[in-house]
Amino acid sequence: MAVVSASDTSTEMVKAPSRMSRFIRMLQRRAFATPADTAISVMVFGLLLYILWLAVDWALVRAVWSAQAVDQCKVDGAGACWSVIDARHRLILFGLYPFEEHWRSTAACISIIATVVLSCVPAFWSARRLIPLWIVGFAAYYLLMEGSLIGLPQVTTDQWGGLSLTLFLFSSVVLLGMPMGLGLALMRRSKMPVVRLTATLIIDFVRSLPLLTTLFTAAVILPILLPEWLQGDKIWRVILAFALFFACYQAEVFRGGFQAIPKGQWEAGKALGLSQWTVLFDIVLPQVFRHALPATINMVVLTFKETAIVIIIGFFEMLASAGAAFGTGEWAPYYLEVYAFVGLIYWVFIFSLGQYGEYLKNRMKVDRR
Amino acid sequence: MLKTIGKFAVAALAASVPVLAGAADPSPTTQKIIDRGTLLCTGHNGSFFGFVEVNDRNEWKGLDIDMCRGLATAILGDPDKAQIVPLSWAQRFPALQSGDVDLIIKATTWTMGRDTELGLQFSIPYFLGAAQFMAHADLGVTEAAELDGGTICVEAGTTIERIAGDFLSSNNIEHTMVSYEKGAELRAAYLAKRCDAFAGWGPNLAVIRATEVDDSEAHVILSDQLSTDPISAAMRQGDEEFVDLVNYLIAALIKAEELGITSENVDEIAANPPSTTVARLLGADPGIGERLGLRDSWAREVIAEIGNFGQMYDRNLGKDSPYKLDRGLNALWKDGGVLYTPIID
Repeated sequence: MAVVSASDTSTEMVKAPSRMSRFIRMLQRRAFATPADTAISVMVFGLLLYILWLAVDWALVRAVWSAQAVDQCKVDGAGACWSVIDARHRLILFGLYPFEEHWRSTAACISIIATVVLSCVPAFWSARRLIPLWIVGFAAYYLLMEGSLIGLPQVTTDQWGGLSLTLFLFSSVVLLGMPMGLGLALMRRSKMPVVRLTATLIIDFVRSLPLLTTLFTAAVILPILLPEWLQGDKIWRVILAFALFFACYQAEVFRGGFQAIPKGQWEAGKALGLSQWTVLFDIVLPQVFRHALPATINMVVLTFKETAIVIIIGFFEMLASAGAAFGTGEWAPYYLEVYAFVGLIYWVFIFSLGQYGEYLKNRMKVDRR
Repeated sequence: MLKTIGKFAVAALAASVPVLAGAADPSPTTQKIIDRGTLLCTGHNGSFFGFVEVNDRNEWKGLDIDMCRGLATAILGDPDKAQIVPLSWAQRFPALQSGDVDLIIKATTWTMGRDTELGLQFSIPYFLGAAQFMAHADLGVTEAAELDGGTICVEAGTTIERIAGDFLSSNNIEHTMVSYEKGAELRAAYLAKRCDAFAGWGPNLAVIRATEVDDSEAHVILSDQLSTDPISAAMRQGDEEFVDLVNYLIAALIKAEELGITSENVDEIAANPPSTTVARLLGADPGIGERLGLRDSWAREVIAEIGNFGQMYDRNLGKDSPYKLDRGLNALWKDGGVLYTPIID
């Protein structure tokens, strides 16, 4: 790469360059400075553009869109066969939920998304607002999906599925797991040996088990051991087990945050006559959250993707539904399109989570103010 | 000791009740199903081609699902009372033991280990899966003997590999066996014509032929069946009457095909039964129901709802499905298959 000469920059100092011209200059400097650079750049960009074109050509230009036109998918030179999505998208989104009741699953899905989005808005960040919001959001989801309590036909949890189940699992696990994780982290820092040892034992025990084993035990083994009245519905057992698993990892993330806070802050708080809880909630925890944020976003994103594992205990979450969507003779050749569609849904949610994490990081920057 | 004697007394008493009553009460499992009002039956966490699938209206379909719907009709009189519980392969046996399902109808092979160590009880087989060969149609072969001198691909380390090797050697068919580590590699090699034929489980071959190749006419599944894999319903041990019920459900479906009774003509034939066997099967003469603790008309209702075995097969795996799997071993005994029934007297 060429070295920028001093005269170049000095002329730029006179008037601020527009974004576009700055970008072009950057390209010139970085990619086209010497003939060799230019050759490599052209090759690389050319290849990238070619691959992009192949993808666009397959996915959009030569694609077949409607379920009626499925015969055209078999024609030579046909691209993506989105007919399979047209015909089977309801299966991917709602799993085995009864066909006539899909509006309920849609509404429930929206209620969960709205709850999650609202809890991300800073204006809602107080216990007085968050807790009612969560209660309302989750109650709405459950009442709509289950139905019998508000006079709709009952749909049992084993018929829940698709995207709406994935979202429900994810948000319940994170919502339950986050406070549990904080609790475990606090217990682990306790001065009382019994409390500290209990927390350490729980965390290390659960972390030593694979998630699959934990969930399999909760779903399949527990009903054999527990009396009938203690069993509850399979979905709640699985959510609780998953949340515990999440909490144990999240506790360690929080612990890292705690360790970044100098001991002096506690002592300073005490010296000012503040109670231990005030120091914890008003001084230490906000900083812990800031330090733990990148790792927490990581955990949340991982959890979103890991919800797919419940397929093994017979839940029809999005990936299982996708498998069923191309799991029939007429649609079996188009599994690639189904996976692309599901991948896109995952991407939208996870990308949004990541972007929100970035926003939070900027917002929490101390030196911003 | 006293406890054991007590148990014996109870057992003896329980055993004598049907004799005294003359007709069987519903078995414990059947009674539980009747009390609950639904039959809990196995589904799949996704799809298993031809056996358990989901249609465009998010409803289950497939050969196994039809068996469940048939059983729900027999016990509860309504196919929609079959509640399909999605389960993974690993989950099916614990789920049966814990009572999450009443029985397993999930392409499950009857093996000695499952019968003894897992404490299961199997019904008579309702399907025989077999290792078979698929070959390129332009070779013009229809049976394995014509593969002489050919190259056969198989998946490495599977029972199919051993079965196919044994079969070809014992029939003195010269061959070169090529094994591949993965199913996908194997299919790619076959499609690239690196082998003349490949060996696999019959229903799977049919699915591959129907879905993964451009022209399904270009491939033939050879008629030779190298092995059998009896697919049965699995139930908890200790409820023999429930096993009887499932056995006679399967028997009735096969018998109906043998007698030419279909879902279309069942009511007509029941109104005017041509033989005593038909009259007994369809409940025009009493007996078929009360001995199982069911209604005498149960077989007629089942056939009216889901058809006879041939109709179920054709709809889900055979000529009316995308897979076009030949009946092969799963034809009636009189058509060269191995399906037969106990005498329904």
